Amino acid sequence: MRGTSRLTSGVDGLDQILDGGFIEGASYIILGQPGAGKTILSNQIAFNHVAQGGRVLYVTLLSESHEHLFQALDSMRFFDRSRLGREIIYVSVFQTLRDQGLGELVKLLRKETKRHQATLLVFDGLLNARDRAATDFDVKSFVAEVQGQAAFVGCTVLFLTSSSSSEVSPEHTMVDGVIELTDSIAGLRSIRQLQVRKSRGSRALDGLHKFEITTGGIITYPRLESLPPSRGADVAGQKLSTGLGPLDEILGGGLAAGSVTLIGGPTGSGKTSLGLHFLSRSGPAEPGLHFGFFEAPGQLRQKAAALGIGLPADDGGLTIERTPLAENLVDKLAHRLISQVRALGARRLFLDGLGGFERASVHPARLPEFFATLMDRLRAEGVTTVATWEMRDLLGGQVRLPYNDISATLDNLILLRQVEEDHALVRSISIQKVRSSGFDPAARALKISDRGLIIGDPLSLGAGSPSSR
Amino acid sequence: MALIFVIDDEYLLATLLGDILEDEGHEVVLAPNGRVALERVRERRPALVITDFMMPVMTGLEFAQALQADAEIGPIPVILVSGAQGALAREHPELFHAVLDKPYDNARLIDEVEKALGQRNGGDAER
Repeated sequence: MRGTSRLTSGVDGLDQILDGGFIEGASYIILGQPGAGKTILSNQIAFNHVAQGGRVLYVTLLSESHEHLFQALDSMRFFDRSRLGREIIYVSVFQTLRDQGLGELVKLLRKETKRHQATLLVFDGLLNARDRAATDFDVKSFVAEVQGQAAFVGCTVLFLTSSSSSEVSPEHTMVDGVIELTDSIAGLRSIRQLQVRKSRGSRALDGLHKFEITTGGIITYPRLESLPPSRGADVAGQKLSTGLGPLDEILGGGLAAGSVTLIGGPTGSGKTSLGLHFLSRSGPAEPGLHFGFFEAPGQLRQKAAALGIGLPADDGGLTIERTPLAENLVDKLAHRLISQVRALGARRLFLDGLGGFERASVHPARLPEFFATLMDRLRAEGVTTVATWEMRDLLGGQVRLPYNDISATLDNLILLRQVEEDHALVRSISIQKVRSSGFDPAARALKISDRGLIIGDPLSLGAGSPSSR
Repeated sequence: MALIFVIDDEYLLATLLGDILEDEGHEVVLAPNGRVALERVRERRPALVITDFMMPVMTGLEFAQALQADAEIGPIPVILVSGAQGALAREHPELFHAVLDKPYDNARLIDEVEKALGQRNGGDAER
């Protein structure tokens, strides 16, 4: 009988999306056009189930030959040929369906499930079954009967079908869950997404979640905003040095532990240099992580050396990560960032820059919520984050932040600006916001030297000062 | 020339093999699983059976064992064609005239077929 114990899929992220995995003894439809990934997904789940001691009956109708499938799966890490014919068997029942109909097919499935002692049944070809059925009622009965007899012996069922969810499909009302896989085009890129369209008896994460197909199989990236909220970390009261004494003073003592600081400014204004000062205070007791899109680790160390900023070695408490600005997935980036922060126990995080996430985004409208969620999750890890945002205007006093509402999610905002005064470039640094602390708002001169950033005297009103509100 | 049974649950593969054998001049009967095949073998006495391993109801190994257990049909040679269970089948050389791994070379299969048919007394199969 069906209980509430779970059959875990073994697919990264999917068990989280399914609130623990599939319910043992329940039946699910996996829906998707050819090429969407149903076969890989079901085989990955099957082999993971076998690895945990389960037994699988994989049933096909009229499809590519089993040997052809095995050859395609050979390149997947989860595939284990030694299990074939033992813990997992593949059989075709096309001739039974063709010659004897759905009723006999139901009986055959029951007998085979019992003969093989299967705890997972994958049935690939629901659409074919519908072709053979005289009416929708026959398909509903078929699904209901297979579902019922499988549930009776505690066997979980996955029905694979190529029909799309837009078609009215009566069998969807019978099963306990429906998972749809899609492969669509966004701009020039192909984006694979998964959606749990129905989930009886379990609270799945709704909406679209991106996934990738790799040699390890399918990896899903639960949409960040759909995850349950994280608990806050207990770091209240502490302050971290920015690595620049004068800046700590202006900020009222340093950066609040667990806070998120945005450094905004045009290219060349000193954002990365400021980040390097922040990272220079990393160490084994206070691990630092540089998560950037622009500079390779070697380049970054060279820059620090040129600025006279001492950085800990790779094994001395500083990890430098660089993700090329290619076609990324925001949720994948976020999950990787958070896992790394967690794995390293990082206390100092320099994110260079938020634009890397923005460029990776396929649905820009979600970015304000995405950033807000990302920052909450980072706060929950107890790490203090300094992130950069590149402003487009090279010169001038205007301030344009990414998205109107992002400032509400930031704790601190530092602006680096450049103006031309008498044909000389004047750099300035000013604090725009510090949450729950006093600060000195005056714009100060900023110099980039071989002894790092040097903060000078407050600048007079006019060029270099915050523009009037 | 000879009556050959092909047992495979995968319909497309069975018909493909059936076509190849028919091109060689043989008569072919298909069966979707070992149990159906056993019933028909008793009726029609083929000269040779070519079978898959992994099938519903009865595996190719179980079929060959059941065949040999019956004195009347026991002598009929069996060629096993398998994707993943070749090694398992080769542990029973007494059951199979030959074991071929999928994907197999058609020429090699035809070769084994002729050898198996030739080993029956007189070459041409009885009906």
